[in-house]
Amino acid sequence: MKPFLARYGTALMGVAICVLLAVFAQNFATPANLVNVLKQSSFLMLLAIGFTFALITSELDLSFASICSLAAVVTGALLYHHYPFVLAILVGLGIGAAGGMLNGCLVTVVKVPSLIATLGMASIAGGTAFMLTGGVAFVGRWDPYFLFLAKGSVLGVPVLVIVTVVAFALSVLVTERMRLGIHMRATGEAPESARRAGVAIRRMKFLGLTLSGLAAGLVAVLLVANLSSASPDMAGDFLLEAIAATLLGMTMFTPGRANVAGSAAGALIITVLGNGLVLLGAAYYLQSIVLGLIIIGSVSVSASVMKKAAFSM
Amino acid sequence: MKLQSFAIAAATGLFMAATNSAFAFDLGIIAFQMSAETHARCANAAEAAAREKGWTATVLNSNGALPTHAQQIQDLVQKKVNGIILCMSKPVQFDAQLAAARKAGIPVISVMSGGSSQTLFDIEDNEYAAGAMSALYLFGKIGYEGAILTERFDGNVGTRIRGKVLDVVLSENTGVTVAGSHSMAKTASWQDDVRKGMQALILQNAGNFKGVWASFDGQAFIIDDLLRDQGLKKGDVTLVSTDGGPEAFRRIKDPDSMLTATVAIPFEAMGKAAVDDMERIAVKGASKESIVSGPYLYMPAELVDASNVDRFLK
Repeated sequence: MKPFLARYGTALMGVAICVLLAVFAQNFATPANLVNVLKQSSFLMLLAIGFTFALITSELDLSFASICSLAAVVTGALLYHHYPFVLAILVGLGIGAAGGMLNGCLVTVVKVPSLIATLGMASIAGGTAFMLTGGVAFVGRWDPYFLFLAKGSVLGVPVLVIVTVVAFALSVLVTERMRLGIHMRATGEAPESARRAGVAIRRMKFLGLTLSGLAAGLVAVLLVANLSSASPDMAGDFLLEAIAATLLGMTMFTPGRANVAGSAAGALIITVLGNGLVLLGAAYYLQSIVLGLIIIGSVSVSASVMKKAAFSM
Repeated sequence: MKLQSFAIAAATGLFMAATNSAFAFDLGIIAFQMSAETHARCANAAEAAAREKGWTATVLNSNGALPTHAQQIQDLVQKKVNGIILCMSKPVQFDAQLAAARKAGIPVISVMSGGSSQTLFDIEDNEYAAGAMSALYLFGKIGYEGAILTERFDGNVGTRIRGKVLDVVLSENTGVTVAGSHSMAKTASWQDDVRKGMQALILQNAGNFKGVWASFDGQAFIIDDLLRDQGLKKGDVTLVSTDGGPEAFRRIKDPDSMLTATVAIPFEAMGKAAVDDMERIAVKGASKESIVSGPYLYMPAELVDASNVDRFLK
């Protein structure tokens, strides 16, 4: 029973929160709100999954929110100046990936600790986004096909949710089923053993940070489509939330270890809580307090069950 | 597992404490960035006015983040609130979310946000007029001649407009020159940004400027302290700004402060007016046109200096 609760306790707590909200929060359990929650959680989920890739290789990426904002600004600028939306999407994804690759180079080639490298990158990306815009947002009536990415649906399922589910499935496949994922995990958990076994440690770390940047680029494109605008501080709020989601995810499924399924579930729990608190009419500061409690609680639980953690706090 | 049990119990307690079981009118209020004094003044006044009417008010803070703001509008629509008030929003960027509110029959009134076809109207002071007032007051005080320093903020539409109007006034009055200008880039640690930028400008131009123009009062307070650190006395340099509020009025009255004037925007009155107008429309059934015909309901800002500050300090 104890191992079961250690693996699924947090997930069960998430279910319990949903049940409580269904009882106490008017309109929480309506189909429209549940779809709303799923759509809202997509952005956080994708960023948390990206952050998880870096964390699995035992590297921190504190720049993903700023890279996301920069990618959003450039995507928005291209759309604003009537470039083809496919080009805008590719450039948005490219900037995200490039930011991640730059982080990867700094960490694996220049040997700057990821905490420092990504903190510096966050500042550079954020500053560049402001430099390109002068602080002003690009607002426009984007191409309907581009807007379809965030506002469209296929057979009643929002495209945003489909994109997230596909990214989630691919990420689980890579981290749990493929040799690449095993190598990435080994890099994070036992780097010396992995190196002796022939794992390309530096390549794995580079890949983890690149995927984190790519996820930021993807979220940037989706955010620009969702808000029909792009501003230089587009994703700032997601930094803490995505880290919280990943830490919360480390308390479930494979306790003490970063895992994609846990991060996605963590993002969903945080979004549900945010939505639930609004529906309950709770004061705005409660959301920050609850987020803080989640971070402290999840790190405490992770630390208590951690044996061979990918990320030691 | 004790931790998890505790977390569940704590969460239940939070939900119970936060639940409001009975209400007559459920109002949603969203401030774009509660850490900005002006946003908080508007939202808090709206909340107080709503509670005075016996309404339930859900106040949300978007932390200055567009995605959060969009989510919160969506959540209030799902909550099926009876009305929404947006303080310093950006309605053009939330067209889809506001369209959903409109589709759901939820009236939306915005404050200092700009007009939108999806909202009833926007309550504002006309930033162009406010910008002209502060610029002309400064120029008049220095006799339309000499150098000034400027502290700008282009990240906010209101402060950006004030800066653009200043440029127009400068172009018409060529006797006034800009000796140095700093533009605030950060929103999170902006105080530090302003302090560093203006400190450098004040040192570089010591004795060579007659006035300082700040785009909002928060910046002016920092500049005021920096000027005083340089040993300047009230009247040595004219410092003007915009926003108003108790601290600005206190400094204008204070003989040691360098703050000469501000343009007082009635944020509290705007928040209260939004609630009163919401009541007239959503509760008493008045038409929007009976309140205002266009997209804006103007509440004029007033220039406050030593001559009339006592009236504002009451």
